[in-house]
Formats: sequence, C-alpha cells, structure tokens
Amino acid sequence: MQPTRCLLKRSVWKGPHIVPLPIVRPEPGKKVPPIRTQARSATILPNFVGLKFQIHNGKVYHEVTITEEMVGHKLGEFSPTRKPFIWNKA
Amino acid sequence: MVAIIFGVSFHEQKLVKKALESFYGLGPQTSARILAKHCIHPRTKIGSLPPKTITALTAELSTMTIENDARRLVQENIKRLRDMGTYRGRRHAMGLPVRGQRTKNQIETAKKLNRVERIA
Repeated sequence: MQPTRCLLKRSVWKGPHIVPLPIVRPEPGKKVPPIRTQARSATILPNFVGLKFQIHNGKVYHEVTITEEMVGHKLGEFSPTRKPFIWNKA
Repeated sequence: MVAIIFGVSFHEQKLVKKALESFYGLGPQTSARILAKHCIHPRTKIGSLPPKTITALTAELSTMTIENDARRLVQENIKRLRDMGTYRGRRHAMGLPVRGQRTKNQIETAKKLNRVERIA
C-alpha cells in the first residue's frame, strides 16, 4: 500500500491505534463467530486479515470480512453511518 | 517554428517550464527539478533549446508516470477504495465531497470530479 499516507495521518512515535479486540485464532474445523465491536477507530492490523467483524455504525452492526488491502484503514470506514437523503413525495 | 517534446508540439515562444507543466502529473516542483537537471534556465523558451536537449527531455519524460499513466493511477486508487467498500469510495461513487466538507452549498468541484472513473 502507501506507507507515506499512513504516516501522514498520525505521529510515527504513536504507532497504529491498537484497540484490544477479542480475536480468537480459528481452530481447524470450527466456525468462529464474527467479532462484534464498537471500536470504529481501531486500525486494521495485518493479523485481522480473513476475520469477520461486526462493526457498529451507531445503530446496527455491519458485517465486514477483512481482506488484505484493508490493512492500514480504520474499521469505521467500512460501516457507513449516514442514510442517503431520498425525497419522499407521499 | 515548432518543437516536439514527448509527442506534443509546442510553439517556440513558450517557456520550457510551462511546456513541461502542461503534462498531467507534472507540476511546478518536478518541472523545476527537470530544468535544473538539464542545466536549463527557468525562463528559457522552447525555441532556444538545442535539439539534443529536446531529445534528452523526451527521454526523461518517457521514464516518468505522467499523462495517461498518472490518470490510470488515480483511477485505480479510487476504484480500490470503491471495491473495498470504504466511506471514501462511496462518496466518490455518489459524486459528493470525500473529506467531510459541507454539502449544503458549494460542492460543484466534487460534482464535477468525484466519480469512480475519474476523468481529470
């Protein structure tokens, strides 16, 4: 990805915003329930790849599967908080 | 009298710096750097360049990501955001401001430019 862009967002000495999330490594043959979280500001780390998250948007939890290119973004970017305005005539 | 740099013909009265900046993805800073590299004064005009320098400039430009390469890079970046399903990608697709600006007034630039297949 673009390391410079990630660095521009936040001081280097702080490192990525790491939030303690209840991540369980999937054991073979077992289904792992998605991780339900309200930590929208948590940075997606490389060890999240392949996991399922349920990210709160203030109202509901949106289910997102983390892929490799999402690393470096925040969890909240994948759970839209606003409803698009639609004009109702009725 | 016309000189051709990187497949584009320029009038001889045009400044070399301005001619370089007319390519997409090549701004004031990069053009100044190229001029310094080839020992050209910033106020030199195209007509006074020797043909050897013009070929050197064309060779230099052909190694850079400008014009369609640069446009494609921008489009790919936007498309990646859209495919991931990020908020920024959605705003691009809707043609609305991406970085949290107000949308009550004055979003003409966003309406014009923000789309998944960005033109300019």
